Amino acid sequence: MYGGGNTFEGIKTDEVAQEDPILLAVFEARIARGEKIEPTDWMPQLYRKQLIRMIEQHGHSEIIGALPEGTWITRAPGFKRKMALMAKVQDEVGHAQLLYSAAETLGKSREQMIDDLITGKSKYSNIFNYPTFTWADCCFISWLVDAGAIVNQLANAKGSYGPYCRALDRICAEESFHLKYGHHCVIYLASGTQKQRDMFQAALNRWWPPMMHFFGPSDKISVHTEMLMKWKVKMGTNDDMRNQFLDMYVPKIWELGFVIPDANLKKNEETGRWDYTEPDWEEFKRVINGGGPCNKERLEVRRIAEERGKWVREALKTPRTKYVMPLA
Amino acid sequence: MNSLDPRVTRLPHIGEVGKIVPKASLDQFGTYEVFVQPKEGKPFQHEGIVHAPNLELAYVLAKETFTRRFTCTSLYVTDTRDVFVSPLTEGDKNAYDQITPSVATAGIKKQFEIYHLSKRGKQHVHAGSVEASSPEEAMSAAKQKFNQGKIVFNIWAIETNNIRFTSPDEQELWLTLPDKKFRDAAEYKGGDKLKNFLEAQSKA
Repeated sequence: MYGGGNTFEGIKTDEVAQEDPILLAVFEARIARGEKIEPTDWMPQLYRKQLIRMIEQHGHSEIIGALPEGTWITRAPGFKRKMALMAKVQDEVGHAQLLYSAAETLGKSREQMIDDLITGKSKYSNIFNYPTFTWADCCFISWLVDAGAIVNQLANAKGSYGPYCRALDRICAEESFHLKYGHHCVIYLASGTQKQRDMFQAALNRWWPPMMHFFGPSDKISVHTEMLMKWKVKMGTNDDMRNQFLDMYVPKIWELGFVIPDANLKKNEETGRWDYTEPDWEEFKRVINGGGPCNKERLEVRRIAEERGKWVREALKTPRTKYVMPLA
Repeated sequence: MNSLDPRVTRLPHIGEVGKIVPKASLDQFGTYEVFVQPKEGKPFQHEGIVHAPNLELAYVLAKETFTRRFTCTSLYVTDTRDVFVSPLTEGDKNAYDQITPSVATAGIKKQFEIYHLSKRGKQHVHAGSVEASSPEEAMSAAKQKFNQGKIVFNIWAIETNNIRFTSPDEQELWLTLPDKKFRDAAEYKGGDKLKNFLEAQSKA
């Protein structure tokens, strides 16, 4: 799973102006032809920087995203759900490994990424700063947050950076299980007792606003990403991704008889796009900057894990091996 | 910490919130390249990397990271530093054209595994093996043996002795995969349940 387009830095065009114009033209032509960029190819500094940032954030989102769901493993309703949830959480952590490896090919070490996550320098998907009160919250994540992630990931898999695309191809294949599993869980709640239906409806009410935030700020206010789109770092605007998600999943939520807590949500027949109440972007910013209900807990869990793993790393360390950049 | 999850609440207090103690340089594990054979009779292909303190643990981590789910018949790992890499080319330029023929030296011949990148953006795929006394010589031998006019954008040569292979009895590792149906999307068919639910709804 993964949160899309959340925090790209503002583009400083003067940075690109300092690049060698001939190399830049060759680079852009290669992307325009649909070819992939590989780690040893020449690339503009800005491309490298933004990709590291994006892939790293994606990796962190997998690691942190495993926490709100992982907390329900011990309390999953029944052995089958427990097995499935364990497999899913294991997948998410595995995805982080693949993504960190892809980011490493751009020159940032894994250790540095882990440190930057713990100190709060790097971000992760905002949606995981909210708590999972009930089993239904966990089902919401498995089905709909993963669905949102898949919308982003399928788009990004067509991007320009070879190692990231290859990691995403693997990840998307595994995500199909998450999505089916999540939908299965929600169908069971929907067709269950009134109490089960109420439980999912309550989860939907809680998670809808963060879900709308998930794809990042509206195009009207988000930083200018034309260059990132041209370089196929970003494959669609935040609003396009949000719209695609609504197109695919609103009908499925309605089909189950649940009420989405936004009276303005409807498909605009003229524009073919969804109308909705503008999400509260101030809340989004507040949570990204550490003000959400679980920010502190998520990072502390990660930091304590790192501290507790220290003796293992200490015991295993050997001068015979050396950290080097991955090949591809 | 006061969390909804009692296990989080029980975590010990260590260090300082938001702070990490600087780590020793060796805290960062080495890098190992992972190669997987997806099906019997198919060539091995490069799958990605793992970080590990040694070759044996790299093998274990590679198994967990790359072969948890999809069919796999064999897997091997090697230290990234043991992969000898040619220049990367593009367009109609063949990487083999940049390999200078080297005269066979008298040293002891060793076996090398040769990998090709024949499509940019895809994985490196095993082309075969050659005998040579150095990685440079292996590249040159590969040029004679495998350069058949088809463009290759990148070549890797790995000395076979430096590879941690899967032994025949370890291949059982993957035999249990088909039993783990709970990891498979096909196991979660909610269609009938959904249909019954919708029918009941429309009657009500």
